[in-house]
Amino acid sequence: MKLLDPSFTPPAGQILAQRVQELEAKLDALLASRGAASPLAATPDSTAPTSTPPSQASGPAAASPPLQAVSITGDFQTAPDTETRLPVTGYMDFHVNKDSGDAFRPDFHRFVLLFGHSFSSRIKFWSELEVEHALVEGGEESGEIAIEQAYLDFLITPKFNLRAGMLLTPVGIVNERHEPPSFNGVERPFVESVIIPTTWRELGLGLTGDLGRGFRYRTYLTSALDASRFNAESGIAEGKSSGFDANMRNPATVARLEFAGVRRLTLGASLYSGLAGSQTPTVNPRVTIANVDGRYSFRRFDVRALYAHTWISRAGELNRLMRQQTGVNPNVASRMRGYYVEPAVHLLPRRLRHDLIAFSRYERYNTQQKMPDGFLPLAQFNRSSWVTGLTYKPVPDVAVKFDYVFNQNQSAVLRALNGINLGIGWWF
Amino acid sequence: MVVLMKLLTVTLLGYALLAAQGDGGRKPDRVISIAAERFAFNPSKITLKQGDLVEFVLTSDDTDHGFRIPSAGIDLAIPPQSRGEARVRFIAKEKGEFAFECSRPCGAGHNLMRGIIEVK
Ligand SMILES: [Cu+2]
Repeated sequence: MKLLDPSFTPPAGQILAQRVQELEAKLDALLASRGAASPLAATPDSTAPTSTPPSQASGPAAASPPLQAVSITGDFQTAPDTETRLPVTGYMDFHVNKDSGDAFRPDFHRFVLLFGHSFSSRIKFWSELEVEHALVEGGEESGEIAIEQAYLDFLITPKFNLRAGMLLTPVGIVNERHEPPSFNGVERPFVESVIIPTTWRELGLGLTGDLGRGFRYRTYLTSALDASRFNAESGIAEGKSSGFDANMRNPATVARLEFAGVRRLTLGASLYSGLAGSQTPTVNPRVTIANVDGRYSFRRFDVRALYAHTWISRAGELNRLMRQQTGVNPNVASRMRGYYVEPAVHLLPRRLRHDLIAFSRYERYNTQQKMPDGFLPLAQFNRSSWVTGLTYKPVPDVAVKFDYVFNQNQSAVLRALNGINLGIGWWF
Repeated sequence: MVVLMKLLTVTLLGYALLAAQGDGGRKPDRVISIAAERFAFNPSKITLKQGDLVEFVLTSDDTDHGFRIPSAGIDLAIPPQSRGEARVRFIAKEKGEFAFECSRPCGAGHNLMRGIIEVK
């Protein structure tokens, strides 16, 4: 088994030669005791009968673990020489974006390092450290260094585990599964960045578990959203605390249930509810988000779809308060909504091992779905997009992406800009 | 270097032989396919009969995951999607519940990428 352990270092020099001799002697003895039997009898299709009942096997195996390893075959990795494994993992994301009429904007969008540690078999740590927009040309965006997640898992039973720290809010598909090769398109879907904040992380604690038959759940109490940063264009998305100056006085509740009991099908539903008035003391709006989503693969076809609906109570009072405080009416809606459908097809035959995926995603999202009394919806924020493109994966962990974004809105005056995106993302 | 290679060969042969002694080429009583995908194994609960010789056929639907059964001293890497499968055989010698888990960090849900082998 030590062959599988990269930390195993064989002793050097003479001890080595001595060990070889000892092993040779042992091997000779074993071979002799087995007569002419092949030492490779562990091939999967071998049906040769055995005279030795497995429970009485001699040698180190007789040390008798409760599950006795017999053989490992197939395409498992035994030796580290095929690939270099770093002690940390992570992912990176390099984009070039271009809006119509604009210049190309290169952007080292994300550089994320992941660190995990097991204090014991029951206490585990996980973290992601992110550098965003390390390089921005021609834009005003500034970079940021952030802890994307950092939490401890206390494993109790499969159905019931505790988790605490900086957590990804379990809403939608991409917020928790955001490694670049795991989704199509250079940028994350609009619905999952405008209707559902991204990368949405909050301080919190909660329960996670596997209920059996393919059902899994996560439910957390988390720090609250900040309604003073809500606006007409991106809804609640700017209100995430990201763990900075987080407010736990009125923790929000979030729960997600997933079903993955059928191969290649995953269905999910999330519910979020929380007060968001920590910075707007006289108005304490409640934000409720309901979302359903699914992913399915059949032969060379994939499809994923998501629907999200957001309700904000007391949005009228919030708008009036913000106008009083800042002079600007944020025109926050009392209801927002978005959905997308993304079919995709794998174009190359399986035997080529390279993967080329063509996809087209239709998104519809409106951050002004229903306005509070006395406020009018801004039609330019009732939007739809076609995102059509290719994802090329020379290996499963590297994705070269290209897409064209065709944006539309309901405004008669303000035209939406179309865009081209190029990206390369990798996981290591 | 030669000594090292010799050591490796002999150890591998020895291991294969011990392995062969363990199951003696016996056909597995159960062959179970387990698919790994961020961040779960499917199925995640496997029920076996005591004494069964079991073969797990392990594949991934995305990146390479690890597969560790601490109670069996097994730890291997499952190849990434469309890069083949790993097969592992063991004998369920004792009754009880034994955990298996992903041993290669694979993202936000890695800590809970686990399952249970129940031997009845
Ligand atoms: Cu994994």
